[in-house]
Amino acid sequence: MTADNAQIESLVGALVDANDQLLALYDLASITADSLDESEVVGRILSRAQGLLRADALLLATEPEHAIGNAVDVAKLRLGQADRSEQGLSTSAVATVSSPDGNPVAVSALRHDNPFGTADTKLLEAVAKMLAGAVHTARLHETAVAQAVINRDHDTASKLAQSALPKWLPELDGVDLFARSEPARSAGGDLYTFAVVDGILHFSVGDVSGKGLPAAMMMTNVISASNAAFQRHGPEGPVAILEAIDRWVYQSLSDAGLFVTILVGSYNPASNELAVVNAGHSPVVFKDATGITTLGACAPPVGVLPLDNLEALSRIVAPGDRLVVASDGLTEQQSPAGEMFGDDRLDKLIETDTCSNAAEFGALLFDRIEMFADVAPQSDDRTLFILEFGETP
Amino acid sequence: MHITKSASELQLHGRFDAHEIQLFRSRLEEAILSSPNVRVDLQDVEFVDSTALAELVRGMKHCREAGGDLVLVSPSDPVRIILELTKLDAAFIID
Repeated sequence: MTADNAQIESLVGALVDANDQLLALYDLASITADSLDESEVVGRILSRAQGLLRADALLLATEPEHAIGNAVDVAKLRLGQADRSEQGLSTSAVATVSSPDGNPVAVSALRHDNPFGTADTKLLEAVAKMLAGAVHTARLHETAVAQAVINRDHDTASKLAQSALPKWLPELDGVDLFARSEPARSAGGDLYTFAVVDGILHFSVGDVSGKGLPAAMMMTNVISASNAAFQRHGPEGPVAILEAIDRWVYQSLSDAGLFVTILVGSYNPASNELAVVNAGHSPVVFKDATGITTLGACAPPVGVLPLDNLEALSRIVAPGDRLVVASDGLTEQQSPAGEMFGDDRLDKLIETDTCSNAAEFGALLFDRIEMFADVAPQSDDRTLFILEFGETP
Repeated sequence: MHITKSASELQLHGRFDAHEIQLFRSRLEEAILSSPNVRVDLQDVEFVDSTALAELVRGMKHCREAGGDLVLVSPSDPVRIILELTKLDAAFIID
């Protein structure tokens, strides 16, 4: 039997068509590897798939109420409910699959004529699965990019917050100062700051409750308020300084559900007088020739209730006396066995220390905490502020 | 930590720290819906950190805004020491 020309032409045409379809299928499979942009990938897949299916229109809906762009610019068609009458499209096929995140994804193919066959339906289902995977991947990528931006901004904000801590130490005859703060994360709520105003050293040491960026942001507020209060209310002493800090930060702390334990002090080398007022901060230890004394709080932390009846503790210091203000991150540091460093160990170190200056003792104390912690993680911010009093001019 | 609950009283057990805040907050909100006078039993709490203290303060303010109060009941020694050191014992009603 020999084929006539029409049959041969038909057969060749079918083979060419099949070859074209294979190439289109290859192109289709390559698209998802080229881009992670959702609209670009979807547009290209729909365009190729439209050719494969010989459809006059191909529509994608990733949510029943939200049809997204398609290759033939037919929009606003709901899932499985193509508005065929407006387009004059008479026949359709719909494939609905679930995306990896469980949401429905539907693809509708429409033609003016030639009903879709079983093979077309299978091909449409494959296209729907490919689209579901591509959309899911693109959205995961978009989420990852957005998260990376948030993380970068968080790191930047954390660094900015930590930069509010002074990078310098005051030079004042008669006092040696050590200050160090090590946040447990990239940002912490511990703080210290100081200023010399008219020959008097004013300082604040505190700990904002909570952790992370909210505590760190509030910490910068308290530092700013302290620095302003030193300049404006320094001559009136630490009670006036703390009252000003309270006025300026109370409401924002209260609104955020936070508080700050804070010790404010002033040291006058001319009179050797040290005065401190303590709102909820611990531990605060004073060492002199007679031994150590814990300087307890006279008021709750700032942000709990409006402060009233504040009272400063005042004393004349002598050479060799030392004021140690730490944060609870030091004393609550746990060992690998779960034991806390505790106030007793800190008190004993302060009492028995023979270091020659504040910096040496500060470094020793941090070393002892590190040794105690061993492989246990740092659970909270660690801050240490030491004033060692010497001979005054 | 785990929390047991009776009428307008929450009993806290174990460590009360930053990890337990959400659980405590949701239980407290439920309790305040029943009555703005809430008692928080702390006799079985082994440790409390500053984040948890801040949450107690937040709860106390919430109760007072609603016309009631948050009462700390029988704080364990570690909790009592922290309350005294921070002078928060002056801010709370402690029973």
